[in-house]
Amino acid sequence: MSGILASMIDGLLVGSVYGLAAMGLSLIWGVMNVINLTHGAMIALGMFGMYLLFGLVTTNAYLLLLPVIAAGLVLGIVVYWMAVHWVIGRSELMSLLSTFAVNMMVIGIGTTLFSTSPYNVNFSLPGITIGAYTFTGNHIAAAVSAVVIALALQLFLYRTRPGKAIRAVADNREAAELMGISSTAVLTIAFGIGIALATASGALVSTMFPFTILSGGAYELKSFVVTVLAGLGKPAGALLAGVLLGLLEGALTPFIAVSWIPLIEFGLFVVVLVALPHGIFGRATA
Amino acid sequence: MDLALQLENVESGYGEVQVLWGISLEVSSGKMTTIIGANGAGKTTTLRTTMGSLRAWGGRVLLHGEDVTRLSPHAKANRGLVLVPEGRQLFPDMSVEENLEMGGYSKRARKRQKQNLERVYELFPRLKERGKQKSSTLSGGEQQMLALGRGLMQEPVVLMIDELSLGLAPVLAQQLFITLKTLREQGLTIVLVEQNVHLALAMSDYTYVLAEGRINIRGESDEVAKMDEVRRAYLGR
Repeated sequence: MSGILASMIDGLLVGSVYGLAAMGLSLIWGVMNVINLTHGAMIALGMFGMYLLFGLVTTNAYLLLLPVIAAGLVLGIVVYWMAVHWVIGRSELMSLLSTFAVNMMVIGIGTTLFSTSPYNVNFSLPGITIGAYTFTGNHIAAAVSAVVIALALQLFLYRTRPGKAIRAVADNREAAELMGISSTAVLTIAFGIGIALATASGALVSTMFPFTILSGGAYELKSFVVTVLAGLGKPAGALLAGVLLGLLEGALTPFIAVSWIPLIEFGLFVVVLVALPHGIFGRATA
Repeated sequence: MDLALQLENVESGYGEVQVLWGISLEVSSGKMTTIIGANGAGKTTTLRTTMGSLRAWGGRVLLHGEDVTRLSPHAKANRGLVLVPEGRQLFPDMSVEENLEMGGYSKRARKRQKQNLERVYELFPRLKERGKQKSSTLSGGEQQMLALGRGLMQEPVVLMIDELSLGLAPVLAQQLFITLKTLREQGLTIVLVEQNVHLALAMSDYTYVLAEGRINIRGESDEVAKMDEVRRAYLGR
């Protein structure tokens, strides 16, 4: 019994990283109604960003999160002006296609540079042993980092002027313009932050598991499940839903083969889509 | 006479459909100017084109003599051209306080944000009571107060209001008009699009009558109120 509990706690730790990734997807959707299909590629870039930085400066890997986040922000702004700005306000299919194109470009370049063989970041923190079970230090540190970043984002969105401008644009873009808020500047920044969250979560994953340039795809799909669980466009809910998904995985892994888990997750995805279209935390009237 | 806002032969529309066929308006500083006309005459389109939410197909918009035709709405807002839009267009997921705070977003409005907030709370004490509530939970009248309050937070040079009284109880509409009158006496330039023609003519200094995307009649409001065609068409007598 305690084995299941330990597995669930580990799931919860990993799940907070899923949640962080989903926050990026959710923020971008909430602010500009763009389903960002570069998400998986950006997660993968976060993984390799961490890998390369760690190769350059061997320090505590979690300190390297800051440069990864900064690079993610800049990358996001570049991608916004390459592929997103021109299709804002047009049908959602347009932004799906243009972000998918960027995704393919990044994956193509990444495959050339790194092939598809697995990499890992050779850094580990001491774990915590409780009774017969040891929780790996990296999983704990990754979870703490994810929660700290998520809280920082919430504070930014609810307590600062630029953060509130982002929420205003998400709420009503035309009215935000009337207030003197440049919606283009806000969309650029919001996309940058969304990508920074994706790269940060990728960097965190790279400290927990081995990865390839294609690994982002799996986390992208999990992000979709999490985002739908939370209700689209609700970044705070996304973190919580990510934790729930991790918990579910943790509870299931002792009993069934890992390869069955996507089936269960996507089964849940479909059920939530049909039964609770506003997410498990959403209001029926929203 | 000091002109705050001028429109010169402005043309505009939606998609392929032209709505405005050369609108020319002159708004004097410190006066209240109203635009009246039937539904679909182009009143809202005029304001949206002035603001830049809708692109002008032709003609010019001048703010205190400066050509601002091609500026985006946020650039115009930063120069003090303020539109309280039709349908209020609040930020529904943000609190009343935050909505007002967004009104004080621009650099020029930020400087006087504190004084302006006090003034808005003085005009509409209800908003202070509801400060922490999400704006979507307000009643229609309160939402209209918030839209107007948010506009005042913007430190307007010219305040344009689209349908102040629409959907409001007559008492409340009257109250808002009196508020506007006070503001105008304090020197604010106001442009009002209004479906309540009685009130509009009684309260304003100058009136434009819009029909089918053209200016039909213009004049001092008390003169316009006496014109037979206006009485027949808009005042029903």
